[in-house]
Amino acid sequence: MDTTLTRNFCIIAHVDHGKTTLSDRLLEYTHTVSQREMTAQHLDAMDLERERGITIKMHPVAMVYRAADGKRYKLNLTDTPGHVDFSYEVSRSLAACEGALLLIDAAQGVEAQTVANAHLAFAQGLKIIPVINKIDLPSANLELCMRQLEDILTIPAEEAILASGKSGIGIAEILEAVVKRIPPPRWTDYPATRVLVFDSKYDSYRGVISYARVFSGTIKAGDMIMLMSSGQKSEVKEVGAFHPAMAKGKELGPGDVGYIVINIKSTEDIKIGDTITHANRPAKEMLPGYKDVHPMVFCGLYPLEASDYEKLKVALGKLRLNDSALVYQAETSVALGFGFRCGFLGLLHMEIVQERIRREYGIEIISTYPSVVYRVKQHGAASVEVDNPVNMPDPATIEEIQEPTIRASIHIPNTYLGDMLNLVMEKRGVCEHTDTLDATRVMLTCLLPLNEILVDFNDRLKSITRGYGSMDYELGDYRASDLVKMDILVNGDPVDAFASIVHRSKAETQGRALCEKLAEIIPPQMFKIAVQAAIGAKVIARDNVREMRKDVTAKCYGGDITRKRKLLDKQKEGKKKMKQIGRVSIPPDAFIQVLKTNH
Amino acid sequence: MVELPSGQAKAEPPLGVYFHVPFCASTCDFCAFYQTVPKGNAVARYLEGMEAEASLVEWGARRATTAFWGGGTPGLLQPAQLLRLGAVMLARDGGRPDEWTVELAPATVSPNRIAVLRELGVTRVSMGVQSFQPALLEALGRRHTPAQIYRAYDLLRAADFPSVNLDLIFALPGQDEEAWRADLAEAVRLRPDHLSTYCLTFEEDTALWIKLSQGRVRLDVEKEAVFYERTWDYLEAAGYAQYEISNFARSGHICRHNLNTWRMEEWIGLGPSAASQFGGWRGANPPDLSLWHEQIASGRRAQNDRVRLTPELLAADSIIFGLRMNAGVNVPALQACYPAAPWTEAVSCLRRLEDEGLLLLESGGQARLTKRGRLVADAVGVEMLEAFAATARDIP
Repeated sequence: MDTTLTRNFCIIAHVDHGKTTLSDRLLEYTHTVSQREMTAQHLDAMDLERERGITIKMHPVAMVYRAADGKRYKLNLTDTPGHVDFSYEVSRSLAACEGALLLIDAAQGVEAQTVANAHLAFAQGLKIIPVINKIDLPSANLELCMRQLEDILTIPAEEAILASGKSGIGIAEILEAVVKRIPPPRWTDYPATRVLVFDSKYDSYRGVISYARVFSGTIKAGDMIMLMSSGQKSEVKEVGAFHPAMAKGKELGPGDVGYIVINIKSTEDIKIGDTITHANRPAKEMLPGYKDVHPMVFCGLYPLEASDYEKLKVALGKLRLNDSALVYQAETSVALGFGFRCGFLGLLHMEIVQERIRREYGIEIISTYPSVVYRVKQHGAASVEVDNPVNMPDPATIEEIQEPTIRASIHIPNTYLGDMLNLVMEKRGVCEHTDTLDATRVMLTCLLPLNEILVDFNDRLKSITRGYGSMDYELGDYRASDLVKMDILVNGDPVDAFASIVHRSKAETQGRALCEKLAEIIPPQMFKIAVQAAIGAKVIARDNVREMRKDVTAKCYGGDITRKRKLLDKQKEGKKKMKQIGRVSIPPDAFIQVLKTNH
Repeated sequence: MVELPSGQAKAEPPLGVYFHVPFCASTCDFCAFYQTVPKGNAVARYLEGMEAEASLVEWGARRATTAFWGGGTPGLLQPAQLLRLGAVMLARDGGRPDEWTVELAPATVSPNRIAVLRELGVTRVSMGVQSFQPALLEALGRRHTPAQIYRAYDLLRAADFPSVNLDLIFALPGQDEEAWRADLAEAVRLRPDHLSTYCLTFEEDTALWIKLSQGRVRLDVEKEAVFYERTWDYLEAAGYAQYEISNFARSGHICRHNLNTWRMEEWIGLGPSAASQFGGWRGANPPDLSLWHEQIASGRRAQNDRVRLTPELLAADSIIFGLRMNAGVNVPALQACYPAAPWTEAVSCLRRLEDEGLLLLESGGQARLTKRGRLVADAVGVEMLEAFAATARDIP
């Protein structure tokens, strides 16, 4: 099959650099979608994505383009998620291409994510076409962008195409570059069928729909195929392409990007990055780059209304159908009731899932402190992974605790360098090197514990740099660290939702802050109640809940007794709804308030 | 400590009778009692209703041992009307109540009314002074002046009522500790037999509640607590022994009618909104004149919030309301009285409260709240309710 007229490419960019608008222009220019059909930003299906200007789920699309050479090319555009949390998914959709448009906002220049994504694309062997976008902005600084391209990304500046997705400038030039600079599909002559799965989504009518790129061989309805990661065999029910809506086709051949419906029930069964081959003529080697992804960040999610538990369960189930990276299991918390321990690829992934539960399923939820996955070496025992502080083994048995680290690339205006270095130090990080981006900007490469960036790192970064800083990161290795489990006790009873794993040097400060906040938020109690932070049996901070000063009815005579009795009964019922920590009744929203103010 | 009149001294069980007189000249900002400004023949109709309701009660051979007329303002009735209401009270044979209290607003105290009340056999007058300070009276929406208070008090004393009580209110918006102390001192100077001091309560459906919800007045729990403590200390030192959260008496002047209520004895309440605890039931009349008339006309009374008096309910309420009294409750006596109630949990709850310094459990089984405990008596009540409910659930 002739693949010389096929080009597979994607667009990579920092958030807000105009990826979606440019995609839309390409679809319009190639008449894939008429202007009339064009809702602004066609490829971003989810509201949340649109709002945040980031694509989480990729939606490939096939275009037909008549090039200057008079030939009709089939161009497959694969949209990519823009965030490091999804870097494995990004790498798989990059792997489905031979080239990438690297988009740079002419006014913003190279940002942290631009660098991270460019490195990912280089690593996949992609031909990169730099596109400087939004050149019609008054604040556009082309000269700077060009210099950054060369200095930071080592891409020759003369390769850059000047464009504006918004005004339609440079669109034809981009399409020509795609045809001329990006090579035709690779690995087409492999002697067996190999198809890369780079995403799956669940459709309630058709089941699991996988987005796939055929490298060699063909695939069609009725084929018996095998998923190479697991050896699982199944039948193909349907194949097709995106125009951009799904259009059923006869078969997918080498170089094609499209969808495959396989007779399986759950997206869990077909992993991103897996290779599909024919069951009776299987390939010997999988396509490179497959990885089992594991959640890196965990937290508990609890419904604010206990009665929403079932709804939350259903919502998580539905989300997981389209997001196999999300894991969850039921858990119970003394403070928060019934909920779920959930695992996410990273912080953004966690935020997005929480936000979707709130918006799309209308469930009010509260999350506990996020935790990373620790590796705990025990004396004379195998090391265990701990993603919930509650499950931390007895300190006496622990030989060593290791925590995951990240390599962060932080871009900031150089006037804030000092403050930024202080923040990195406060967060137990080290700055490996600093690179000058231009006259006003520097890039720091820092090693940080993942744990330290979970809560407020990004907010602090934004606040220090007045919004001008940006950060991206990749996961580093595990490192031994002096970590301890800190319990928060109310009246001597541990409150599970507040247990955390912290660096020993920070335990006291954090413990004190938490105790103060809890003592302040818990309403006055009739009994004397202490709030304590403790490492093992050692109390490191304490505070007292305010004592109830006065709770007595002044007038209580014959005519008042019924009313008074009803009031006391009501209060008693109210207390039932409160969380009982030992003998202390705490309104459920007290914990929530503390969790909220600490996030 | 005060000596308490022993309720069971005579073979005759105590029976309180309460008349609610639902009329006021105007509504005070803090008042949540059912009252209305009388119009046309409303009072006459009310008196007919009281006669009719009294005839619905199955008195048997019971005599009212104590009586209490509250309101509203019973003093708003004309002397002849008071006489007619008195006749309803005295229609039950067996003689006059041993203690008979009538609430009077200072502005309604007149020689004629006093004469009628003395003639009927009223032994005790409770006067709603609230404050001796014009600004605070104004703030409360009260219609009397300090001068009227003094005049009324002199008339009552001259009429030689065996017991006179004055009501005062504290923790008023704009009232500082000094102002309150001045009111207390003035009350003590008059040497009444009994004092009731009420912390201002923000009750729903009052003008004050509206001001509170609009942020025009502020709730200050700490101030209230301090005022309570100062009041208790001050009156104790002045010879008024506290016997309940808000009640103080000189020796021999404890209000027995109220005491019997807190001891979960029986009482019959007549009139709109009046509550009864009698014949195995507790319930109240509708807090509305015309609804009350309707109910009485159809032969029904005390139907609102009607509950059967089970041993569990009486045991719990004996403790909850009994602990409001300084003397507290005698646990073994209650246990003997209501053996079916879940006592194990109740006693362990009392012990917990004792551990926290909120309550004293004496060797004879007498349980009484400490000062700190009295200040949180409602929370203690909820705790007791939980204790009783916990075991009630365990009993199949």
